[in-house]
Amino acid sequence: MTTLPMATQAPEAEPCALCGFRYTPGGESCREHGCPISFGTCATRHCPNCGYTMPDDQKSPTLRFIRKLFGRSEPKSVGSVADMPSGGTGVIGRLQGDPELQARLTAQGLAPGVAVHLVQRKPTYVIEVGETTIALEQRVAAAIVLHRPDTDQ
Amino acid sequence: MTAASTPVSPLEIDPPAPAPSKALRRVVLLGNPNVGKSALFNALTGLRATVSNYPGTTVELARGRLAGTDTEVIDSPGLNSILPLSEDERVAWELVCEVRDAGDAVVVQVADAKNLRRALLLTLQLGQIEVPSVLVLNMSDEAEARGITIDRKGLEDALGIPVRTTVATRGLGIEAVSAALAEARKPTNHLPLPEDVAGPALELLASGQVPSSAKMTLLARYHEALLAQAGSLVSRFATAGEPPGRALSRQLGRLAVHPVWGWPVLAATLYACYEIVGVFGAGTLVDLLETGFFGGFLSPLATALFAHVPWEPVRDMFVGEYGLITMGLSYGLAIVLPIVATFFIVFSILEDSGYLPRLAVMSDRVFKVMGLNGKAVLPMVLGLGCDTMATLTTRILPTRKERLLTTLLLALGVPCSAQLGVILAMLAIVPAPAAAVWLLAVVGVMVVVGWLGARLLPGERSDFVIELPPMRLPILSNVLSKTVARVEWYLKEALPLFLVGTLILFVLDRLRLLEGIIRAGRPLVTGILGLPAEASSAFLIGFLRRDFAATRLFDMSRSGAMDTVQLVVAMVTITLFIPCIANVFVIAKEHGWKTAGAMAAFIFPLAFAVGGLVRVLMLTFGIGV
Repeated sequence: MTTLPMATQAPEAEPCALCGFRYTPGGESCREHGCPISFGTCATRHCPNCGYTMPDDQKSPTLRFIRKLFGRSEPKSVGSVADMPSGGTGVIGRLQGDPELQARLTAQGLAPGVAVHLVQRKPTYVIEVGETTIALEQRVAAAIVLHRPDTDQ
Repeated sequence: MTAASTPVSPLEIDPPAPAPSKALRRVVLLGNPNVGKSALFNALTGLRATVSNYPGTTVELARGRLAGTDTEVIDSPGLNSILPLSEDERVAWELVCEVRDAGDAVVVQVADAKNLRRALLLTLQLGQIEVPSVLVLNMSDEAEARGITIDRKGLEDALGIPVRTTVATRGLGIEAVSAALAEARKPTNHLPLPEDVAGPALELLASGQVPSSAKMTLLARYHEALLAQAGSLVSRFATAGEPPGRALSRQLGRLAVHPVWGWPVLAATLYACYEIVGVFGAGTLVDLLETGFFGGFLSPLATALFAHVPWEPVRDMFVGEYGLITMGLSYGLAIVLPIVATFFIVFSILEDSGYLPRLAVMSDRVFKVMGLNGKAVLPMVLGLGCDTMATLTTRILPTRKERLLTTLLLALGVPCSAQLGVILAMLAIVPAPAAAVWLLAVVGVMVVVGWLGARLLPGERSDFVIELPPMRLPILSNVLSKTVARVEWYLKEALPLFLVGTLILFVLDRLRLLEGIIRAGRPLVTGILGLPAEASSAFLIGFLRRDFAATRLFDMSRSGAMDTVQLVVAMVTITLFIPCIANVFVIAKEHGWKTAGAMAAFIFPLAFAVGGLVRVLMLTFGIGV
């Protein structure tokens, strides 16, 4: 009897994409279902309820790389303008980074509490703040931190 | 269209203001970028403007007279804060302080009525410096169309200064502005700001010093505090309108930086520029002036006139092979002038349309390879007009590394309009692959040198941030007046050098030294580059002005003295030369003689080396043979 060399910390239970059954991946024994693939290297997970197979991002660097290539993975937490999806809108929380940059951006009307709309991310970021349209590069966009109602006052 | 004859704005019926009690000496127009300052300037002055640089800077200031008076009107460059963040931005602060101290001068702050919050940041600063001001809400028709209403009287009371509404491009409300000048007041100082911010900020305002890095943070907080006050004023006296709609200019502006559609827009723009400058300017106009005016009229006339001069050297000096008229003036006026003029027309149109900052967005990636960012495209494009002028505008780049690199690349690879025109004309007579060799060689050298420079030069590149103004239809009068000013500058710069260059050749020829130089240059010119020995004379004057040299080579090739390979090699070599002696002086002025000398010592050998390499490659691969 071998112990499963799987994730030591159990990931949170997620619903199965097919039947909606909540289960913790890694907990079930795939071999019981007759799967011949080695446990350690297999990057899929099976729903114990319906047997539906899902790719497991956590275990496959290749999969994460491919997802990154196609830009499908939406960032989970929106921290700064650099993390916003194209077409998204947010409210500026604060500016960070180079003081001179902060002084310039505030003079252009970018201040806490102001709504910012991200038009595009390529070839450079383009944001709209009120009537003002500004093009900026990624590292500047990352300096504009968005207001998050759950953490900020 | 003159502003003086325009009736009172239908937007605002003001009571007729009393005539100014004492004559104003000066009016300074001030405001955020792209709020219509120049349009208001034109409307106020009736277009009688002169463009000059602010003393000691490259900042262009338009000066004119208020229609029907002696009052001087100055149009200052757009700004976002009166506090300068770099040395070149001190101009506005100095102008404002001059107005405050003068007693008989006022500031007219021009605002975009749709973007009141940003404008009020400046108004509040004017209040803190205590400068007599008038606030003009321009583009009020656009604001109205969007449903933005502004309580003008309420705003006047809150700010303590006259507030007027205008549509400057249509000349509406201009008289009300002129009338309000006499009522200019110091805007109400809306302090208190946060304690820790107010004191140091006011100190900065009083000194006008560019803040140290530590104080920049403070400045950011200061701007934030002003914006908060501006925001509350806006919410009290203006209603929020509709968000900007899908207007054509907005769509066009987005298209021009679109990840996909931006490229066809760029290609179409470049093609249009080529058609106007390359085909019309360098082709049609040059033909007309050179063969028509000079060849058919002026040169024969001058020759006929000088035929009566008994002294042969004098005759030759003006109308001989290296004659001041037949060579110097005809190169300068017939070949260079039409090309430079058409280029600056196109450049001014691009500038006024709002496309140039979008070009910076599209080219940001390429410039990052060269250790720069998209902002460097502005001096580069201007360099296609005149490299010397462009070298001065590298000051818009924030770090020394960027200024040095851009200066080097301008001197090395960006052909100025005069030379570009000659090159285009020459490339038109060689097969397409040979023309492609020229382009590849020049662009390749620039990218490689930029890439190496980015790694070898100490320092950092700055962050890429650029405001994208709305796309607008350029105003013809504005385009023309700017073109005239720039062409004038160029001629003052270039023509004397053309004449001096011609004179040097003439003297050397007279003293039988030219033959010696041509013989001395033979190993280099014939040995390495494989060109006819006479091309030496072209390279010799190429040290003075490379477009002059290109013109000389063009002349030689038209008489069949060079084959395709020779032509391309000559073009590549001369393109990589330093543009002109004036450029060397400007580089020395900006960066010191050591840097200028180092650049020259790097560029000239490189030009010949690359020329030789191109020749070997073309012969090896049989391109253009």
